[in-house]
Amino acid sequence: MVGDVTAVGAIMVLALVTLATRLAGVWIMSYVEITARIEAFLKYMATSVFIAIVVPAAVNGAPRIGFAVGAAAVAMIASRSALAAMLIGAAVAAAAKSVGL
Amino acid sequence: MAATSRDTGEKKTNPPGHPCFTARGVRRGALEIAPLALFVMPFGIAFGGAAAAKAVPASIAMLMSGSMFAGAAQFAVLDLWRDPLPLAMLALTVLAVNARHILLGAALAPWFLRVPLARRLSALLFLSDPNFAQAMAARERGELDAGILFGSGLAMWFVWLAGTAIGAYGGAYLGDLARFGFDAVMVSYFAAVVLGQWRSTRDLVPWIAAAAAALLGSRLLPPGWHIIIGALAGGVTGAWRHGR
Repeated sequence: MVGDVTAVGAIMVLALVTLATRLAGVWIMSYVEITARIEAFLKYMATSVFIAIVVPAAVNGAPRIGFAVGAAAVAMIASRSALAAMLIGAAVAAAAKSVGL
Repeated sequence: MAATSRDTGEKKTNPPGHPCFTARGVRRGALEIAPLALFVMPFGIAFGGAAAAKAVPASIAMLMSGSMFAGAAQFAVLDLWRDPLPLAMLALTVLAVNARHILLGAALAPWFLRVPLARRLSALLFLSDPNFAQAMAARERGELDAGILFGSGLAMWFVWLAGTAIGAYGGAYLGDLARFGFDAVMVSYFAAVVLGQWRSTRDLVPWIAAAAAALLGSRLLPPGWHIIIGALAGGVTGAWRHGR
């Protein structure tokens, strides 16, 4: 059992670390001139954050997560609706779970 | 492929305005994120439930959700939560899992740096993956009001807190949320966001570089770091090919 004072203190430190990560990106960029090349870097980096979350989750995770991501991708290409893709991904994951995958 | 904006009904031309932060923007952001924010609820319930399972008091779980508002990092913290608290390891883990916020913030910089400082800082308080994705999509349609990031983040913060409360106080009765496919909602949404960004075959090489680096990193590096490595690999490859 962690003491209350210790717990609250630790959470405050972790909240400050999290807040720093939220503010740091814009702050750092205020010291760097934003050229066309840097914009290309940022644009690809932003998309790559999501690629870097999704691909390992789909490959390393349970098969049902891979199926869900595949179904969501097809739904997105067909409908151009992120909401539809999300619902279909969840439905596929639930169906896969019900058959034990 | 997905070359057009997701909101095809709306034809917003680039207004000759200036980046700003208004109450109208905050309200618009909150309303736009509402359908997605509902999906934050099961994650909040899952976190509260997991905290309850580890005998972490509900008030402590609520404090975590309220002050950190970072799902993946909070789950990682829960994993390391024991007496005595390994504070340095906790801080480093939270930094690694949340370091992607720095990348998101950097991507917002061309827009946000033109918003006055105090408003710029408050707009970033609730920065997270879903509302960043929404804000970037809105920017593509000509949005200039940084208030939408604050509004959408605030809406998600409320839902996250409500979900944590339900999970922490009543989690034991809810059972396994994976039965409903809730654990696949976020990755499905992120996959859709990625495909929505597709413009031409020029995107292919940076995207593959990101995927390969992340995949390799997920096998070789401590938890969280594969996201940073993958994001940097995609960004560097994209910038390098830009000049050719």
